[in-house]
Amino acid sequence: MASQTAPRPRRLPGYAEELARAEMDIAALESSRQSHPVNLERRIRLAYRLFHRASLSETMGHFEAVAAVTREIIDEFGPKEDICLLQANLDFRFHRLGEVRRDLQMCPLLPGRFEARALLADLDFQEGRYDAARLQFERLIAEQPTWDNLARLAHWKSKLGDPSEADQLYEEAEDDLTAKQMQSYAWLELQRGLLDFTHGRYEGAWRHYQRADEAFPGDWHSDEHIAELLAAEGRFHEAAELFRKVIARSAKPELQQALGEIYVLSGRPEAARPWLASARATYLGSVQRGEVHYFHHLADYYADAQEEPAEAVRWARKDLELRSNYSTQSAMAWALHRNGQLSEAVEYIRLALSSGVRDAQIFAMAAMLYEAAGENGQSESYSQAALQVNPKYRNFHIHH
Amino acid sequence: MADHNDPNAVNHIFSDIDYSPADLYDLFGWPTAGGNNVVFALTFASTPAAGVLDSDLLYRLLLTSHPRVAWPDSNEISLESVLRYFDAVKEKYLGELKTAEIRVTVETPNRVTLKFLGFPGGNFSTTVDANKAVAIPTPDGHTIQAFIGGRDDAFFNDLTGFFRSINYAPQFYHVPHTMTEARELPIPKTLLELDGNDLFNNRPDMPKWGYTQLDGTTPKLDLPAGPWTWNGNKFKKDADGNFRFVYDGRDCRAKQNCNAIILEIPHSFITPKTADNRLVNGWGESWVRKAAHKVESIPDDPSWLQHPWKVIREKESDDELRKYKLVDTDGQPFADAALSEREDDRQLGANNFWLGPHFIKRLAHLGWGFGPSISALGLKTSFNHDNSPVSVHKTYDSAALAFPRVAKTLFQKLNMSDDSWNPKGLPIPLRRPFEIFIPNVCAVDMDTTGSWPFGRRLEDQVATRFLAMFLDMEAEWNGRKYHIELLGQQGLWDSAPIVPKTPPNPLKNDKEFLDQFPYLAEPWPEKW
Repeated sequence: MASQTAPRPRRLPGYAEELARAEMDIAALESSRQSHPVNLERRIRLAYRLFHRASLSETMGHFEAVAAVTREIIDEFGPKEDICLLQANLDFRFHRLGEVRRDLQMCPLLPGRFEARALLADLDFQEGRYDAARLQFERLIAEQPTWDNLARLAHWKSKLGDPSEADQLYEEAEDDLTAKQMQSYAWLELQRGLLDFTHGRYEGAWRHYQRADEAFPGDWHSDEHIAELLAAEGRFHEAAELFRKVIARSAKPELQQALGEIYVLSGRPEAARPWLASARATYLGSVQRGEVHYFHHLADYYADAQEEPAEAVRWARKDLELRSNYSTQSAMAWALHRNGQLSEAVEYIRLALSSGVRDAQIFAMAAMLYEAAGENGQSESYSQAALQVNPKYRNFHIHH
Repeated sequence: MADHNDPNAVNHIFSDIDYSPADLYDLFGWPTAGGNNVVFALTFASTPAAGVLDSDLLYRLLLTSHPRVAWPDSNEISLESVLRYFDAVKEKYLGELKTAEIRVTVETPNRVTLKFLGFPGGNFSTTVDANKAVAIPTPDGHTIQAFIGGRDDAFFNDLTGFFRSINYAPQFYHVPHTMTEARELPIPKTLLELDGNDLFNNRPDMPKWGYTQLDGTTPKLDLPAGPWTWNGNKFKKDADGNFRFVYDGRDCRAKQNCNAIILEIPHSFITPKTADNRLVNGWGESWVRKAAHKVESIPDDPSWLQHPWKVIREKESDDELRKYKLVDTDGQPFADAALSEREDDRQLGANNFWLGPHFIKRLAHLGWGFGPSISALGLKTSFNHDNSPVSVHKTYDSAALAFPRVAKTLFQKLNMSDDSWNPKGLPIPLRRPFEIFIPNVCAVDMDTTGSWPFGRRLEDQVATRFLAMFLDMEAEWNGRKYHIELLGQQGLWDSAPIVPKTPPNPLKNDKEFLDQFPYLAEPWPEKW
C-alpha cells in the first residue's frame, strides 16, 4: 500500500568504518611495498593513507608513522611535490611553522601551487598577517571555490570579520561536498557548531554537533564538542562521562585537562588531580621530545589549571616566538597578568586586540586587565563587547 | 593539538583519489528494429564492483529528437560561419529543444529506480533489479528494454598508445596532482616516435611501462626534472628505415569490466513525430549525492517501490537533482580526452557551445602533431602544416590564427568506408567534425545503422576513426577515396614504412558482443 511514512533514520557508515578502511588500505599498501619497493605512487599513497588514519585517530604514534614514511620517500626518491606538500601539512599541524616553508621550498615550483598557496595563507594567519591571509583565501576561492578554502575564509571571518558571513561560507563549503566526503562534512558542521557555541547560541551548536554525529557517526571529535557543550550548560556529570569516553579513544592531554577542569568546576578537586597531572606530563613529555605544539597548552595550564605563572609566561613566550598572533599574544597577556606583570600584560592584550579579533574570551580578558590597570572605561567597554559577542562567555569552554 | 582551522586535516582525498563510479566511460547509441527503436548504453567505472551499484550516484540519460536539418552555411568555409554554427546550436539547445531524460538512482546495490521525465507519454517511474534485462511497459503502451548492471567494458582501444601520442605524462610517470603543467608535456604530439624523444619513446627494456595491468597498477617512472623538451628535428627511424608507431594496437581495456545503463527505447516513445524527427541525440551525466543530503533521514520511500507508475511532478524532480552534484558528462567519444583536456570545469555535456573556439584551437594543436606524422607515412592530411617534415609543438591563443590550419579538417565531410551505414540509400549528408563535436551529443540518425559518426555502434573503432579526421578525405589510396576506416586497414600498414605493422587500435572487442539486448558482453568473472 502506498503511504507516506515518517523518515526512518539510517545509520551511515562513520568513524569505525573509515578507520577500518584506512587500516585495510595501509595493510595492502604495506604488503605491496614488499613486492614493489620502488613503486613511488604506491609509497606516496601509503603516506597519504597513513596521514588519513592519523587525522582520524590523532594519536602521536600514527602521526609518527606518517613522518617516518614521508622521510623515507624523500630520502629514497628525493623531494616530490606531493610528498613535500604532505610533510608541510604535517609540520603545520604541529606548529613547526618554519619547517612548513622549508618543506614547500624543497620543490621550487611548489610554493606557487594552489594547495601550497592555501597552506602559506594559513601560515600568514598564524603569523599575524591577517589581511594577507584573507586576500590569498579570496584569490584562491576566485580561482577555484574548493570547500577547504571556503572553510579557511570562514574561519578568518569567524575570528576577524562577520560571523554570519562565516556561517554562510561554511554552508557554501558544505555544498561542495559529496556523500563521499562525510568526514569533511562533519568537520564543517563542527566548525559551524563551534561558531554558534562561541556566540552563546547553544541551540544552534547542538543542532550542528548532532548533525556532525549523524553524518559521520562514532567520531570522537563530535563527542568532544558535545562534551564541552554539556559542560557549558552546567551538565558537568554528563560532560565528564562523555569526556572519559572520548579520552579512552583518544588520550589527548588537552582533553584530560578539560576533564580535570570540569571536575574542579563541579567541586571534585581529587577527581581532577590525576587528569591534570596526566595532561601536564604529556605536555612536558612532548616538549622533551623537542615538539612545540603544546607550548600554548602549557601556558594555559600553568596560568589556570595549576597556578605557576612564571612557567605560564615561559611557555607563552616560547609560543609567541613561534607565531605571533592574537591567540598567542592574549595568552601571553594573561600569563603576564597572572605573574603580576600588569603593564606588559596590557601591552600584549592591546597588541592582540589591534588584530581586530572579535572573541568574547579575549574581550573579557581585556576587560579584566584594563580594570586591573585602572582603565575602567576601557574595561567596561570590553566587558560589554564580550557580552555582545557571547552572552554566555563565562561558561565552561576548552581551547580547541 | 593544532589550535587553528585545519581543513586539510580532514581533506584526505587531496592527493589520493579513488576510482569513482561517477567516472563515465562511453555513450553508445544506434537504431534497432528497422529504425523503430534506439539503443543507448552509458558505461561507467565499475566501483564498488561490476554489477554492484553505488547508492550515492544518480545517472541521467538526456534525449531529444528532431529533424535532420541541413545547415544553411554548409558550403562557406570560414571562422565566421563555424562560429555562427556554434551560436545556432546554442540557440537550438537552450531554446527550442525540449529534452527528456531517464534518471537512474540506486535504491540498494541491486535495485535501481528509473524515472522517465519529459517524454510525450507522461512522467513515470519504476524500480527494477540490477543485472537483469527487464521489459518496462510505459503508460502510453510502449515497452522499453532496460539493463542496469555489470558488463564487459565495450571500449577496445590502445589507450596507452593514445596517451603516448599526446604526451600524457601521468600514464607513464608519477606526476603529483599539484603539477598541472606536467600532464601533457610540451613537446610535439605525434603518431610516430620522435628521434631522441627520451620522454615517451618505447623502451624495449620496460615492456609494461605505461600499460595498466589487471591488478590496477601501472608501471611508471619518476618524472624527470624539467624542462621537458625535445630538441630533435626528425621522426625516429630504425636501421631498415622504418618509423616507429606510438601505437601497437593492443586492447588496453581487455578483460576489464564496467557498469552500464542500457536501454532500448521505441523512437515513438521519445517523439510522436518519428517520421520527421529522424535524429535522436543523447548524452549522459553522472551526479553524486551532496553530503548535506546524505545526512537527511531519507526513508526507503514505499511509494517508489510499490507504485511503479507513480507520476512525479517536474518540481519534485528538480528538487531531487538539487541534492546532487554534477561530476561527469559524456556524449562524443574523445570529446573529453582529445578536445577538452579532461578539465573538470569543461564537463558541460551537450551545452559545450562555449568550447567552440577552444575546439578550433585544440584541433590545431593536435593537427601540428598528427598532420606531419600522416604526411611522413606518405598519406595526405587535412591539416595545413606547411609541409613540416616532423611534428611540431604549437599552441594557439586565438581561434582566428588556428582556423586557417584546421579549416579543411573541420569542414571536410568524413567519408564512410562503404554504403552499409545508409541501408535505405537516403540522401543523408556525410558528417563533418565541427558538427560531430559541438554539441557534445551522441547523435543517432535513425535511417542509418548508427555507425559513428551517425551514432556509435559497439563495434565501431572510434579511436581510429577519430584519427581519420586528420586525413584528407579528398585523397585516394589504392584507387579509393580516403575514409574513416582507412587507418584500420591492415593493408595500409603492411605497405607503410613503419613498425609495428598494425592498425593503431584493436579491430574488435576482446569479447563478442551479443546480437540481442543488452548487447554488451557478460562481465568478466573475476570481478564478480
